Parts: sequence; structure tokens; C-alpha cells
Amino acid sequence: MSPEISNQSLLFLIVFVVVPLTLSYFYQLGMSRDILWSSLRGTVQLFAIGYILTYLFDLPASFGIPLMVGIMLIIATFHARQKGKELPYVLPVVFFGLLIVEVSVLFMWLTFDMVQFRPSEVIPMSGMVIGNSMVAMGLSLERMKSEFKQNNGRLLAALSLGAKPKQASHLIVQKTLHAALIPNVDRIKTIGLVQLPGMMTGLILGGVDPVMAIKYQLVISLSIFSSVSISAMFVTIAMYRYFFNQNKQLVESAEEIESQS
Amino acid sequence: MFRFENVSQSPLQGVTFEIKDQDKVILFGPSGAGKSTLLFLFNRLSDPEGGHIYYKDERIEKHDITSLRKNVGLVLQSPNLFPGTVLDNLKYGPALFDEWNENEARKLLDYVQLPISFLDREVDQLSGGEQQRVSLARTLANQPEMLLLDEPTSALDNRTAEEIEEVLERLIKEHQLTMLMVTHDMKQARRLGDRGLFISDGKLQEDGKIPEMLDQPDTEALYKFLEE
Ligand SMILES: Nc1ncnc2c1ncn2[C@@H]1O[C@H](COP(=O)(O)OP(=O)(O)OP(=O)(O)O)[C@@H](O)[C@H]1O
Ligand SMILES: [Mg+2]
Repeated sequence: MSPEISNQSLLFLIVFVVVPLTLSYFYQLGMSRDILWSSLRGTVQLFAIGYILTYLFDLPASFGIPLMVGIMLIIATFHARQKGKELPYVLPVVFFGLLIVEVSVLFMWLTFDMVQFRPSEVIPMSGMVIGNSMVAMGLSLERMKSEFKQNNGRLLAALSLGAKPKQASHLIVQKTLHAALIPNVDRIKTIGLVQLPGMMTGLILGGVDPVMAIKYQLVISLSIFSSVSISAMFVTIAMYRYFFNQNKQLVESAEEIESQS
Repeated sequence: MFRFENVSQSPLQGVTFEIKDQDKVILFGPSGAGKSTLLFLFNRLSDPEGGHIYYKDERIEKHDITSLRKNVGLVLQSPNLFPGTVLDNLKYGPALFDEWNENEARKLLDYVQLPISFLDREVDQLSGGEQQRVSLARTLANQPEMLLLDEPTSALDNRTAEEIEEVLERLIKEHQLTMLMVTHDMKQARRLGDRGLFISDGKLQEDGKIPEMLDQPDTEALYKFLEE
């Protein structure tokens, strides 16, 4: 079975855009332009990706997969870096972090035959892993910066007692990792209860047997869980040191952090 | 013990003075004069922009930084306790040097006059005065030779402040500590200090004996400061 949404049916999606548009108009939210623009942009983006994917899926796996995964890694790197631009070496750290995560997940998938080495399987699944890791890294960077700011006094206290940067920032690393992992633990805990995961929904709609869909979902959910943990840990542990200088002093301002290298 | 030679660190410009073993020095001056800034230089929480600092007749940079910080203990203005119990806080410093000994805990609480039952208390359940005592005990746990105190009683009511003062006086005498304390309270300065450093407008304006310098200021700046 291969369900099909006709183009005419798709046209009626406009109703779904008109609703927020009307809302914005009557309540003078001033968001009309934004709503129109984002709906239009999203539609175009998705169709473009659709055509690109169709093209990629026809390429030989050994060429299409590295190409697309490479592109995803680069885009994700630049995106995650936004959250920690003032820190030195974020770009390479984030890139290598994502690379390590992707390669090890891929290795698991292929070794244990969870996923076939086909563009149509590896690319969307990698996309989810890389996307979630990117978000986790961004959040960790942001969280770490705010924890350093908030805990300035405690850090000074720890240093003044003779703690090395690693010891002094233990608390911050702990809090950052905690914050990065909690939503994932919650997500896994309630999986399928409130909202069927997107991929599983897609597979079921596409005509795949629900139990089969669940198996795929398990693979991807647990892969994401583990990737997100590794990503958060990797950036946090790689980056905390740049909040200190070589004299075990806290670096105060963004400019000072930037000049560290 | 310490010698500052022409030390600059914004807003301070070219400050020179010396601190001898067992001196009890009060550092005072208007808000924003650079008192906390100066304090941080003693255990190298920061390094000066200009000039030289000598510790035990040797450039401060020559000393191992972690043992310098252990020997020159700092008590920050707010307690800044680590999350966890009082015990966790007390052992933090010594544990860094693998020197923690469970028997110390009782002694430390004794110093700051807190009951032994406090050891297992979570620090966020303590009152301000109790937290300040734990903060002091945490610094003392490292057995420093010198204490840097940044307005240790400014957040406390008079009675609690006086209790902490007594604790400090006794400790300093018992352990023959060198003390450098920042305070806005000139009565406290008279009670605890025997020497004063007055900084204002980026300069060390007066360096003299207490109470003499407070009774008869040499400079216009100090005279005005005391008037307020
Ligand atoms: N982290 C910082 N970054 C930039 N400037 C700072 C920083 N900390 C302090 N300053 C500035 O340095 C000057 C001296 O500050 P410092 O905290 O040493 O003053 P203080 O004498 O301790 O004042 P107070 O009595 O209010 O505690 C002030 O003008 C302050 O604004
Ligand atoms: Mg201050």
C-alpha cells in the first residue's frame, strides 16, 4: 500500500495557515508577514529537500551517504557554534564531536544490522542523530556559559581554596550534563504515551506494520539518547577549560576568553 | 610576608606597601576604590596589570599557585558555599590536597562556634550568619597562615557580626595568623586591626597605625571619608 496525498488536497492546507493569520490580524499581533513567510519558506524548503533526497537515494550508497552526511555535519556545526561563538576552538570541537557521534552510531547500526547501508535509511536516521546532537551541543554551550556566570562566586571560592580548574568546574560540568540529559530521560520515559514519535508515525502511515515501526523507533530513539549524551559530555569537557587561563584564574570577559588560545 | 611594589590593577595605580607576619591590617576606602580587587591579588585570583608582588621575599609568580592559595586563605564577601552539606564544604579544601581527616570537622565547627550536629545540614537551610561561619571554617580547614577577609560581617546584624568578630580574634591569636580585612565599619576596624591601609581615588592614601590614623588622619581624603 502506498498512500498518496493529491496536490488538490494539499492546496487546502492553506486553511491551516489562514487560521493563525486571522488570529494575528484580529489581535494585532503583527505577525502576519512572519506567518506567511515562514509557511511559504517551509513549504519550499521541504519540497526542495524532497527532490534532493530523491536524487540522493538514487546515488550509489558509498557516494551519496558520505556526501549528505558531510553536508549535514557542516551545517550542524555552524548552527551549534552560534551558541558559543566567543569561545575559542568551538568550531573544530563541535565538528569533531558530531563526527565522532555519527561515526560511532553508524558503526553500531551497520555492525549489528539494525540499519541497511542504503541512502534511504542511513540519511534520514543520521539526520535525526546529527540534528539532536547539534541541539544538545548548542544547549550545553549555552548552559555552561550561564552556569559559569551564575556560579562566579563559588568558582572563586573553589579556586581560592586551591582547586584546579577541572576540580573547580566539576559542579558546572555536572549541572550542564544534568540539564542536557533530563529532557531525554523524560522523553524516553513517556515515549508513545502522549505522542507517537514522528518517525514511527511516518512509517505506520506509509503502510509499515506497527511492530516493525516500533523496532525502527527503538533503534532511533536509543541512538539519539546515546548520541545526545555523548555530545553534551564532549563539548562540556572540551570547553570548560577555556573559562580559565593558564594561571588557574577565571577569565572574566568575552574578549578575554576569545584571546585564549 | 607580602610586599607590593608599584602595583597597578584598575582602578588602583601604583600601590606600594608591605605586610609583615602576624600583622592585623584593615583595608578600607570608598565603595569601588578597589579593595576587593586588591585582595584578589594576594592569592593570585588575578594578576596585576603593572608592578610586582613579592611573597616571602620571592616574586609571587615563583610560588606554586595552589599551595599559595592554600596558605593565603580568602573569605569572600558572600559565603558562596558549595551545594551539599556543611561537611562537604569543610572538607573541600583539604580533600583537594588529600589532607582531610574526619576529626578535623569537630574542631572546625568548634572554632566558628557551631554545634557538631550541623555537619549533616544542607547549606541552603542555614541562616546568613551560619553560612558566613561555615564559609570561614571552610577557609580555615586549609590551615592558612594568612587570612584575607572581604567584609565578612557586612551582611549580618550587629549581634551576629560581633560573634563572628570574637571568633576571628580568638583564631588569629591562637594560630598566629596574619590578617588583612576589608571593612566599612570603623568600630570593627578599631576592634580588630592594628594597622590600616586607606585606599581612595586609585591610590594608597594612608598607611598607618590603628587607632592613631583614625583619630588624626593625615590626608584630606581620609578625613572626609571618616566624616561620612
Ligand atoms: N569583574 C569586573 N569587571 C570589570 N570591572 C570590575 C569588575 N569587578 C569590579 N570592577 C570595577 O573595579 C572597581 C573596583 O571594584 P572593587 O570590587 O575592587 O571595589 P571595592 O573597593 O571592593 O568596592 P566595594 O566596597 O563596593 O566592595 C569598580 O569600579 C568596579 O566597578
Ligand atoms: Mg568589594
